Amino acid sequence: MTSVIDIKDYTWKYLHTESPALNNIDLSIEEGSFVGIIGPNGAGKTTLAYSMDGLIPGQYNGIKKGTVNVFGKEVESYNKGELQQVVGVVFSDPEAQFTAMTVEDELVFGMENIGLTIQEIRERLEWVTELTGLTDLLLKPPYEISGGQKQRVALAAVLAMKPKLLILDEPTSMLDPVSRKMIFEVLKKLKTDEDSTIVVIEHSLENLIPLADQMILMADGEIILQENTREFFNNSDLLLEKGVYPPGVLYFFHELHRKGLYQGEYPLTVEQGKNLLQQLVK
Amino acid sequence: MTDKKPYIQVIDLDFSYPDGTEALKDINFEVREGEFIALIGQNGSGKTTLSKCLNGLYKPTSGDILVDGLNTKKGSIVQMVKRVGYVFQNPDHQLFNNTCWDEIAYGPRNIELPDEEVKERVEEAIAVVGLPKYTHQEHPFFLSKGLRQRVAIASILALRPKVIIVDEPTTGQDAKQSLEIMNFLRELNQEHGHTIMIITHDMPIVGLYAKRVIAMAQARIMADGLTRDVFTLADVLEKTFLAPPQITQLAQADPTLGFDPGTLTVNEMVDQYLELVQ
Amino acid sequence: MNKTLLGYVPNESPIYAVHPFVKLFFLLIVSLFPMFVTAPDWNIGLMVVIVIFMWISRVNMSTLKIYVPVAISMGTIIFLSYTVLGGTHPEFELLARVAGINFYWERIRDALVVYFRVLPMIFTMVFFLSTSRERDVIVAMRSIKVPFVITYVFAMSLRSAGMVLEDFQIVRQAEKARGFDPAGKSLPYKIRQYVMYMIPLFALSLRRSEEFTNALVARGYAFTGEISKVKRADYILTHYTYKYFDYIFIAMIGLAFVALLVFRYGFGYFQVDQSWLMNLLREVVS
Repeated sequence: MTSVIDIKDYTWKYLHTESPALNNIDLSIEEGSFVGIIGPNGAGKTTLAYSMDGLIPGQYNGIKKGTVNVFGKEVESYNKGELQQVVGVVFSDPEAQFTAMTVEDELVFGMENIGLTIQEIRERLEWVTELTGLTDLLLKPPYEISGGQKQRVALAAVLAMKPKLLILDEPTSMLDPVSRKMIFEVLKKLKTDEDSTIVVIEHSLENLIPLADQMILMADGEIILQENTREFFNNSDLLLEKGVYPPGVLYFFHELHRKGLYQGEYPLTVEQGKNLLQQLVK
Repeated sequence: MTDKKPYIQVIDLDFSYPDGTEALKDINFEVREGEFIALIGQNGSGKTTLSKCLNGLYKPTSGDILVDGLNTKKGSIVQMVKRVGYVFQNPDHQLFNNTCWDEIAYGPRNIELPDEEVKERVEEAIAVVGLPKYTHQEHPFFLSKGLRQRVAIASILALRPKVIIVDEPTTGQDAKQSLEIMNFLRELNQEHGHTIMIITHDMPIVGLYAKRVIAMAQARIMADGLTRDVFTLADVLEKTFLAPPQITQLAQADPTLGFDPGTLTVNEMVDQYLELVQ
Repeated sequence: MNKTLLGYVPNESPIYAVHPFVKLFFLLIVSLFPMFVTAPDWNIGLMVVIVIFMWISRVNMSTLKIYVPVAISMGTIIFLSYTVLGGTHPEFELLARVAGINFYWERIRDALVVYFRVLPMIFTMVFFLSTSRERDVIVAMRSIKVPFVITYVFAMSLRSAGMVLEDFQIVRQAEKARGFDPAGKSLPYKIRQYVMYMIPLFALSLRRSEEFTNALVARGYAFTGEISKVKRADYILTHYTYKYFDYIFIAMIGLAFVALLVFRYGFGYFQVDQSWLMNLLREVVS
């Protein structure tokens, strides 16, 4: 298993702040894995995401220490625009990342940037619109579609470039529950059909944890915990201490565990929770 | 609470935008002083439009809204603002002044209160909201989102409206910040007597804080009642494209187990479990 | 209904069949016509032709009413600058003397000539904007090989303008929600209102521009360097093909222009002294 992301001893301080946003980060993410990063606001999650795409230090001023290797090379040693062709980022604000005048133009923009031919563009366009359910919206301008639809467009636009590493920074924070589910449905399809590496930063845990292989907890610029999902939530007390609330079902079983009434694995979905509950009560 | 005369009465309200889109159809409900209501529904269901009708920003196309006896079609901006306050989702849309102090004073100055009273109200609002001293002369732009939201709420509080409508209080906030802002709204409701209405689709928060829920879909009200009752109406929730909080779903997952389908919190669930197993 | 830059045009309008380049060509060439024509009758005729084109394209004619106050105020300004503020010449014919100001025929004539030269240019621009969607404008520019950066900046400006307008609406509501009531207040008070808008709009734009830039960079758009020299596929152009009538239109516009020049410089047509309208007017005022 090759390492897609290899970060060693990484510290980043924005120019005009007093303390570093990230402190001595050590992180290794393998190809094909689905990683969730959670933690309170201000923990440095977005800073970490931007560092993986070269946006930091590319677009921001500050002091960097340590190394950030993506696909075997330091992010700073890539030529301008080179790294972004293999790493895709979806940001949290659907408005700000819709830069073209129609959905189709938005999807095609990235593909044109990497120099694909008309035929290749046509094929990928068809694939990505099918995957994200945007076929009816192709000719619509941004002011005629909802926030949730815009966010799907953002995801599709990035997917059309077929990045090997996909990073999503709070992709559903501004969306209603239905749109939120749709985004995670696409991610689920991606996980099963493609072999891309996916990193998702989220506050909405209930959709994330059934999909994530690995979870990372960040707080105050540091990585506090990094584990496979099930083991991760065995540390729920630590999560609560840092201000992160597990989803309701998991939290319930954690409370039972704290009272000494339950010793098994924590369920990640309502379905799993129901089964466990049935066993316990009967 | 049940015997008081309603503070807000919405009667047969219809609202269409100038280009013809029907945003609200056949809306009828009442709000009494001291209530804590969550207005839920998918984007585009009409929640924001409805709340903007309540404070007079939009006038009904047909039907009436009476706030403290005053018809919103006839009330002036100043009259409405003293009764119903509206906190916008993005604090950046409503911060107009150079310092937080001036920002909070903006409302009282607009309704032409004497300087003495403006000062009194600003200080009162700052105290209630808990704004640290260093922020008072700072420009709101440079504060964190949480603090900006507090400044926005303080600037509405300074107008002393009985009803406060907050649009998406927890969007973009982490768990701790969400609870902080919601606990603060609860304090405003229980200790200071404000009627609170939140527009949200954060269902766990609705379960924890809102006594009553109004669920909307396609410009109509689909359900209006106690939160624990509405959360059991599976078909209504389906129409509004919402789902109850995970813990409620767990309680409802297998009815034969005997859990209350209106369970709203993890603690309630744990208590029921303890009873069942003993 | 399709939204064009200046309003809505129904879906079934014939104007959509025309390649955007033809529309741009029309705008560029036809707005040059009045520069070579001084006789107001011809320029008025051109305006009528453009209005007919608008009608054929199913543009909502009632939107033209918006331009009437603009036309009137502009006409007044031109008239006043030429008559009241214009100089005199010993050979000028004095028509009248009102409130101590001399009104010369030549000045009035010149004012009318200028006015009826500017109006058709504006009409051509209005016609173009009323019948072009944002995409059409971009396609038109790309088809004449305008560099991508320029067309993209143009598209982004349109997009930003749209977002700013939306924000503007919300900010207005936010002001009202804080008791700001400009009705029946003095002018300085109302001016304060517009200044107040700037602050949140500015804050919002600042926040968004950072995210906007990040989104562009993350989408592989390099503003300079090796990567930016990539040959772009211009996928958008694949939706638009030139049809036989596009070529006919281009030829007709071109020929009309050539004919205009030939008649103007070869045969001296379109001059103001030959204008029967001006001669008529001359007789009326003498």
